Amino acid sequence: MRSRAGIALALAALPLASCGGGGDAPGGPGPKTVGVAFETLQTEYWVVSFESIKGELEGRGFTVLEAIADGDANRQFEQVQGFIARGVDGIIVAPKDAKTVIPMIRAANRAGIPMVLYNRPPADSSAEAVTIVADNYAIARETVSHMARLAAEAGGAHKAMILIGDLADQNAVDRRRGFDDAIEEHGGGIEVVAEIPTEWNQEKALAGVTNALQADPGIDFIFTSSDFLFPSLVSALRSAGKYEKVGEPGHVILGGFDGDATAYRMLRDGYLDADGVQDLGFESEQTVRALADLIAGEEVPPVIEDEGFVIHQGNLDEMAPRMWGAGVGGD
Amino acid sequence: MPMRFPGVGPPRAALLLRSEHLVLLLSAAAALAFWAAVPGFASGRNAANVLQNTLPLLALAIGQSFVLIGGGIDLSVTASIALASVVGASIMTGDGGPLAGHPMAVPAAVAAMLGVGGAMGGINGLSATRLGMPPFMVTLATLTAGGGLAVWYTKSQKIYELPDAFVGVSYGSVLGVPPAAVLVAALAVVAHVALSRTLFGRWLYASGMNPRAAEVSGVPVGRVTAASYVVSGLCAAIGAILYTSRLETGSPEIAPRILLDVIAACVIGGTSLFGGRGGVRRTAYGVLFIAVIDNGLNLMNLSNFAIMIVKGGVILLAALLDSARARAAGRA
Repeated sequence: MRSRAGIALALAALPLASCGGGGDAPGGPGPKTVGVAFETLQTEYWVVSFESIKGELEGRGFTVLEAIADGDANRQFEQVQGFIARGVDGIIVAPKDAKTVIPMIRAANRAGIPMVLYNRPPADSSAEAVTIVADNYAIARETVSHMARLAAEAGGAHKAMILIGDLADQNAVDRRRGFDDAIEEHGGGIEVVAEIPTEWNQEKALAGVTNALQADPGIDFIFTSSDFLFPSLVSALRSAGKYEKVGEPGHVILGGFDGDATAYRMLRDGYLDADGVQDLGFESEQTVRALADLIAGEEVPPVIEDEGFVIHQGNLDEMAPRMWGAGVGGD
Repeated sequence: MPMRFPGVGPPRAALLLRSEHLVLLLSAAAALAFWAAVPGFASGRNAANVLQNTLPLLALAIGQSFVLIGGGIDLSVTASIALASVVGASIMTGDGGPLAGHPMAVPAAVAAMLGVGGAMGGINGLSATRLGMPPFMVTLATLTAGGGLAVWYTKSQKIYELPDAFVGVSYGSVLGVPPAAVLVAALAVVAHVALSRTLFGRWLYASGMNPRAAEVSGVPVGRVTAASYVVSGLCAAIGAILYTSRLETGSPEIAPRILLDVIAACVIGGTSLFGGRGGVRRTAYGVLFIAVIDNGLNLMNLSNFAIMIVKGGVILLAALLDSARARAAGRA
């Protein structure tokens, strides 16, 4: 069988021997190729973003390569290395966190391939990439400020809870900071009694909220750092008999962040008070525009911010057309 | 209508099926197909990339092969990786590690990582042999507990600021080759020799093939089986060293979904899930096959869902092929 193995190895080596260079050299003729590597498609936000970015790229005549890492930073690293080896003209990454993306940016830098980070900024380093990110701090702060005004109108003391995301994700850190500062600015009357670390995981959110509501049934002010945790939050509130509409006795002041279809439905049905919305259309359009500019050799600022907006019961009809979740067919 | 190839009769087909090089041939066939379909697949750079991607997976699959040959299974690999990653990183991190900046930081951290992997393997091995618990349940329990321990140890925080000497395992160069490649090549050679040229290797095959017969023949089945889990734990620690240095991050979720690829690589290579059959070379072929498929599919202009479906289908076909081989070998 040794001869057979030799033949097999020779066959495997054939393609390598016949073209030792790269694939399509970046900047070569023909349609340009862009690799899009997303950490996850776990939530609506990521799915809609992914489709939206692909649509924008194809609209500009790019060939798109897809890769989803399923929450595994190592897999994402391999996928990005694969794009680089293939000789793509540009790479878009929605990274898992701020730090593990740095080796990926460095690899792209070494290969001279422009990279744009979608939605999550990298940690400080010498690696160069353009980041498109929502102003998480400001949007969270405005959302929670609106909730605090509602609490003040209702009068009395309030007990607050926040669902925190994965603290390795800068966005989760900024949203928490926005929450804390809004509560502090409000100047008393709201005491934060529970912080639930969810690590962006629905099961952990459900267990944490359930325990917190049992430990302190007086909680009447809840902000979740992401709308995709609403199903867990609502389930725990229902179990505790605390899921009531705005204006009804026992209503818990609720706020969220993202602007997904569940949040839109809860706003429309009168359960949700306020939601900080990321302007997903703007973010995906800017991501593709930035990459196209980089590929064309133009200067692009290192960070492009989406200012987002707060949607609430008072401006629902006016702002709903700009809320991406309102167009996702939330029944 | 059965297909007939001139000059290849049934005996040859059976011979090919039984050949331990079959999966290498399949990898070559897949590589040729991708070469035709995917621009850039056959570049030297991509080949180097595929080989580099196989390194951690190969280390893990070698460890799993030892356990499978001995008739067990180790599901706790990802927990061992996570625990080793966070313990090692916490020792050497410049961000408050007890040995930050110390010249012994990296050796001490690597030793601690190997210690964690070995200890996880020891717990698995002793529980499976001394306490007579089913390996599936034991390693499922240590997977859950070890994963929980890693999260508790770090409070879910990732650990950064790792020393350059450690990151150099993946990004450095020894005669133009990353130290990671040298490490895994050495591991593969040692593992191959241990399985094919030593008494321990013969005992392990005998224990996996028929533990009772082996026991009667004087093989210390319990000790040999327990040792195979320790080997798997040590290999998981080596995987953790490679993953942690590559991402420059210690994390309790460093390679959360690698287990399926590890077991698939072993089985595709021809290591039996029923014990007593397999080897390092076969496993290496299986790892190569998975890496080629993964890389090629990622570089094709396919949707992510199509990639997942094709990859699942290919693994299923390989498993079917494995049972055909077992039949061809007269061991249904």
